[in-house]
Amino acid sequence: MTTQQPILTADAILERGLKNLWYPICPSHMVGREPVSLRRLGKKLVFWRDHDNQVHALDDHCPHRGAPLSKGIVMGDRIACGYHGVQVRCDGTVTRVPGSPGCKLEGSRPTQAYHIVERNDAIWLYNATGNIDTPPPLVLPDELDADGEFSSFLCYTEWKGDYRYVLDNVMDPMHGTYLHKQSHSMAEGDNTAAFRIRDTDRGFIFEKEGQRDVNFDWTEWADTGTHWMRLEIPYPKTGGPGGNFVIVGSYTPISPTLAAVFHWRCRKLDGWQRDTWRFLYRNRLEARHWAVLEQDRVMLEDMEADANQNEHLYQHDMGIVRLRRHLKNLAKAELERMQQGKA
Amino acid sequence: MDRYLEPHQARRHEPTQYESLLGDAIERAYAAGTHDLAGLVAYLNRTGPGPQDGEVWTEEIYKAQIAKLAEE
Repeated sequence: MTTQQPILTADAILERGLKNLWYPICPSHMVGREPVSLRRLGKKLVFWRDHDNQVHALDDHCPHRGAPLSKGIVMGDRIACGYHGVQVRCDGTVTRVPGSPGCKLEGSRPTQAYHIVERNDAIWLYNATGNIDTPPPLVLPDELDADGEFSSFLCYTEWKGDYRYVLDNVMDPMHGTYLHKQSHSMAEGDNTAAFRIRDTDRGFIFEKEGQRDVNFDWTEWADTGTHWMRLEIPYPKTGGPGGNFVIVGSYTPISPTLAAVFHWRCRKLDGWQRDTWRFLYRNRLEARHWAVLEQDRVMLEDMEADANQNEHLYQHDMGIVRLRRHLKNLAKAELERMQQGKA
Repeated sequence: MDRYLEPHQARRHEPTQYESLLGDAIERAYAAGTHDLAGLVAYLNRTGPGPQDGEVWTEEIYKAQIAKLAEE
């Protein structure tokens, strides 16, 4: 049987996520000893933990006939498919075909395996185009450095719609002044602004001219082996010492109609100030931040799937235009590599 | 629910009445511009609630108690 391959376009590549990048997949607590099937990045993947707590990930597809490995039985670093007992190791190698010992499938490596790291309460997956031995390092911004000066909490949500609408939303600081006007932290600042783009060595910053530390005034986009965005929002005085509230975001397609949305909420604090913020966050601030994020979700989920085909963009949207163009160029380069068989 | 939308991901338990009272007091102190430890401790001793361990707040008692509450 042959399968008709759809014609791939740069847009289709972006829809399912670029290859050869690290992506956050889910909060750490979502994966335990039992296999879990998660759809991400245009694929169905199976995740499980071995006895050393290491997370493994494979395509959730038995190489024999395509049954979900997630319905199988975990045997440490292997999964035995529930359908015919075919055992697939965490590196994608079939170690045993109990119904037909010695068959060609045994010892082959037909299943794609994925490198996994756990950082900042999330499971990250390297979306390689095939089986590779060593992925590049996952480099995250200073705010998420485990030994750094920042304290953070992960907020994970799933929003209906293409993940690129979430990127657009974060690359649009001006919406804070309007959509989030009635929030605990974004009531200040002018309701008009001129913006500019400033290049950095890892991406670019889209920022208001002449207004800093007042409202949601800038967004950074960066590629450090994973794509992330960063912004700051000043806390009101009730937020105590420690300066601005920093949000690091990273977004992963689940499907064309669902996005995995990761926000790490960070503050540069230590000692009693850090502990007080963490206490207040758990007791009350998390609920307030949630209410703000819900304003974004409701707006984005109510947008038509083709809203971005019928736009009239203006100066505030330069950052969005820049980011879309950049991502499209990355997708075109990936497409070319695929066509040359070098993906 | 057809998607993950959990408002409370950091909490390990529902806030207790004591925690919420303490949170109120800390926010009031912060709102008044009291952002230093000595000032915060004095504010809490003036308005309550008192510490769960000990008679009055001291800087050491506050640091120990808030470190515990931060991770509970």
